[in-house]
Amino acid sequence: MNEKYEELIADYLNGELDEQEKARVEALIAGGEIDMIDFKAMEQLHSELEMVSTPEPSAEMSNRFYAMLEEEKASAKPKFNISEKFNELFAALTMPRLAYAFVLLIVGGFIGAQLGSNDSQINELTNQMQDMREMMIVSMLEGASTTDRLRAVNISAELPIADEKAVRALLFTLNNDESVNVRVQSIETLKKWGEDETVREGLVSAIGAQNSDVVIIALADAMVEMGLQNSKSEFENLIQERNLNINVKEKLESTIASL
Amino acid sequence: MMKVKDGDLDKLGLLFERYNRPLYSFFYKKTFHTDVSEDLVQSVFERMLKYRSTYSGSGAFTTWMFSIARNAHIDHYRQNKKHNEKEELDEDRMGGASPEFGEMDERTKRKKILEQALDQLDEDKKEVVILSRYEGLKYAEIAEIQGVTESAVKVRFFRAMKDLKNIVHTLSEEYSDE
Repeated sequence: MNEKYEELIADYLNGELDEQEKARVEALIAGGEIDMIDFKAMEQLHSELEMVSTPEPSAEMSNRFYAMLEEEKASAKPKFNISEKFNELFAALTMPRLAYAFVLLIVGGFIGAQLGSNDSQINELTNQMQDMREMMIVSMLEGASTTDRLRAVNISAELPIADEKAVRALLFTLNNDESVNVRVQSIETLKKWGEDETVREGLVSAIGAQNSDVVIIALADAMVEMGLQNSKSEFENLIQERNLNINVKEKLESTIASL
Repeated sequence: MMKVKDGDLDKLGLLFERYNRPLYSFFYKKTFHTDVSEDLVQSVFERMLKYRSTYSGSGAFTTWMFSIARNAHIDHYRQNKKHNEKEELDEDRMGGASPEFGEMDERTKRKKILEQALDQLDEDKKEVVILSRYEGLKYAEIAEIQGVTESAVKVRFFRAMKDLKNIVHTLSEEYSDE
């Protein structure tokens, strides 16, 4: 019986009716032209659909996007001549990448050779490998190439625990790196170590240092996710002191309200 | 998006930060598969870059974005069909790795039934429910995305809700018989 009023009921459920039209639906129900039991069951089901939730996407999704964006930006740059290309290729193969690959190869080979010996040796080697990895991360973060720095941030995301050196290097990157994408990825990685007080304080104090809308929004999302209420005053300062884009301003206001 | 079209590619990062979750949610509710949903979100942003010159800015950005998302999902579905690959389901999809139905509390039971019912809807009907109920789009915007009239979208939504009601009823009876 309600088929006759399917469009009207659809509008009602999606909140697309004005007061007059809502009153018409109620009148149709009262007059028995719309079956009340069917209608109420549908309305309740529509409300219950709220229960179907979505899990959080992994950090890998964000990593992949920013790697793709960096590649696109690199390919959009003007083309160089052959000798410049050759030099660029040669430069890309130098210090950080070669050293990192070399260290991993040596350490990996060494661990392989030692397998079968006792566990303490393996643990020691694993720790040494982590130290070397951290050293390479810091070195790569200081590199000239955006792609290398982005890669360094991604590698640091694989560190199982927050290391002081890596945290300091990432916070420095967040406050100083010229690339927006590298700074956003630093936030994603630092978020993983949100239990660490240095990370929490560093993220909050980084808010005032940012000029990019993208980074400010990424920080706002991170603050809500980590529940850092002391960031509210930083956002309030930004709203008062800066002439922010209207979308960014709205986002910060909703962030403050959420916090 | 107009700035991305004009060559300011960094602005795509702003769009990603703002829309990656709504897009992920859209794909997740269509597929109930986390890995596939993440791949499809990536595919949407790749297409945005590839086809940025076609963005006119005349309509709402979200309409353009979900049109791309819809096509990405259709292509993914066709590709899988072509290769006759059955998607591996997430372990926790539909509560596969969760406790037995009888051991769940009432709310979890209801949630599971609703998820299964949504998954069983026809693709077009499911899409209308996802876009209106979860993504907050108006019927006129959904009509543009699906390439049909606004009236057809409303009818589709009503029938989707009716189908859902029947599927939920059937599933509830099946589970109570277990």
